Amino acid sequence: MHRIEMKKAIRILSFLLPVLLVGAIPVQSKVYIDINAPAFQRFPIAITDFYDLGESAPVGDMPIWFSDIIGSKLDMTGFFRVIDKKAFLENPEKQAFTAADINFQDWSVLKVDFLLKGGFIVKDQDLTVEFRLYDVVEGRMILGRRYQGKLNDRLKMVLKFIDEMLVELTGESGVFDTKIAVVGKSGTTSEIYLIDFDDTNTVKLTNFKSLTMMPSWSPDGDYITFTSYRDGNPDHYVLRRKPFSYRRISAFNGLNLAGPWSPDGKKMLTVLTKDGNEEIYIRDFTNNSLKRITNNPAIDVSPVWSPDGENIAFVSDRSGSPQIFVMNADGGEVRRLTYEGNYNTSPSWSPKGNRIAFEGRAGGAFQIFTINEDGSGLVQVTFEPGGCEDPTWSPNGLYIAFATRQRGEAKVCIITANGLNFRPLKGARGISSFQGPSWSPHMGTP
Amino acid sequence: MIRHRFLTTAAVIFFAAAFVMVAGCAKQQALEESVAGTTPAVVVADDKSGVLAPGEKKELAVAESVVEDKDAALKAAALEEQAAREKAEKERQQQLLTEAAAFEDIGFDFDKYDLKPEARAAIQKLGEWLLANQAFVVTVEGHCDERGTTEYNLALGDRRANAAAEYLVALGVPAKRITTISYGEELPLDPGHNEEAWTKNRRDHFVITIKN
Repeated sequence: MHRIEMKKAIRILSFLLPVLLVGAIPVQSKVYIDINAPAFQRFPIAITDFYDLGESAPVGDMPIWFSDIIGSKLDMTGFFRVIDKKAFLENPEKQAFTAADINFQDWSVLKVDFLLKGGFIVKDQDLTVEFRLYDVVEGRMILGRRYQGKLNDRLKMVLKFIDEMLVELTGESGVFDTKIAVVGKSGTTSEIYLIDFDDTNTVKLTNFKSLTMMPSWSPDGDYITFTSYRDGNPDHYVLRRKPFSYRRISAFNGLNLAGPWSPDGKKMLTVLTKDGNEEIYIRDFTNNSLKRITNNPAIDVSPVWSPDGENIAFVSDRSGSPQIFVMNADGGEVRRLTYEGNYNTSPSWSPKGNRIAFEGRAGGAFQIFTINEDGSGLVQVTFEPGGCEDPTWSPNGLYIAFATRQRGEAKVCIITANGLNFRPLKGARGISSFQGPSWSPHMGTP
Repeated sequence: MIRHRFLTTAAVIFFAAAFVMVAGCAKQQALEESVAGTTPAVVVADDKSGVLAPGEKKELAVAESVVEDKDAALKAAALEEQAAREKAEKERQQQLLTEAAAFEDIGFDFDKYDLKPEARAAIQKLGEWLLANQAFVVTVEGHCDERGTTEYNLALGDRRANAAAEYLVALGVPAKRITTISYGEELPLDPGHNEEAWTKNRRDHFVITIKN
């Protein structure tokens, strides 16, 4: 393709920019990848170095930066296998950017399913990037996007495109705009930390120098609730992220355990021992009331809402050993969910609503399992020798984060919901252990 | 000692007052005789009952100075005695606290919070000690091993602490002298990840302090 034509094409495309950028176009796309299939294989994809479409400024390693960063982020999603550039047959000097200019034979012989190409124009601090995703077998473009912005925003543009690409191929948006709250422990104190999904940034959220744990996000991602021994007793707090502030919302004698917000953000689940033993309560913020929904001499803890807010899964040892139960949101119709094994705890309800993840014993160690909400379809998803605990779902329901132990170190890891693509998070230096993860909702921007 | 000093001072004041009163009464009687029928106001104005004759005053002053000297000595002795007693008391409490610190943790089985026979025996000793030493209170800390969920373990630790607390109450220790707190799996005694460490970590720990 001639450069002049390309520029013309870019000018025409520029008019479409606002529409394309919003990304809210309801595209009835074919779902290429069934990510819920148990035998799911990563899709081979080739990413060529990006073309300099502007020839105006020195671009340095920008062509390689784009292809490499996209490759590493796509690898992180667990849905793609990025083909080594050394295997490419196409002449990199030739700007084969459009379907007409690409020789798809060059790619199909490499057994590549998808080909991703891109070009950019740099003008002072302004950057225009165009991404094109091709289906190699069909020899056609299946997704094209162009973004304009500042040079410094190029990573955001990359993540935005990957998100669109995931929607196109899997029917689900990505989670590069999410964080995972974890409990970082050091000696006899623990604090809440926030780690980005792609593990590029870790922020220490609390600094109470006491035991602080059990973080849980508000549906808008602006608030985090947790339990802390800050004032000597395990009390319940709510923290606002920006601007930073926090307050203690419950300090009864005994346990004041933080639980998740309801999907509408108006209520919160909590466990209190103020009435003599562990019971589950709903705290309603609209009228500041506290309603007890369990009444049993056994331990009742770890309540979580179903995504529609109509049911609550929780842990109880009322049948002799800790098991997962489900009840209506008003406490009625309690039914036992798990029967396998004698220790099943830590339920986490998939945002998709169909599966509940929990930790149970398998052999000598704890592992993560998932089960349908009617108690059928039990699947063991982790097989780590060091054991796995505390599962939490990503907001798109495609991943589960959990705590595990590797070579004596407690770490938070991510897997795809089918149990593949194990990825430990690095976290922060100087912290001996990371545990108790809680996945944020979508935040909108990476 | 304080009491002793008080009595001495009180006696001195009593005798001085008695002397004054006797002298005053005698004088007043004479005055009333000479001015019989006059108004009480005159009587009051002329009443010198509080004033001592010069000789009497001197005598009292001597007595007072003697008392003062004696008082200072007593005061010093009292302070010394008090310090010694406080020290002894402190030592005794320290010794008791050392004694209290020797009460060992009681162990539990995995996912259990019922008291084992040896745990009951240990709590009985603690109970007897608390009944004998009323100035002390106890905090029962419930702990778990690292296996299982944070929340479930907090609940389990709560149950373990309460099990010991309830037994202490049954033994006659007033409930208001017992506090419980669960630390779940958060504060292991042994940081290891094996059966030996887990056994040590499933425990109630007793923290005995002096009542405020």
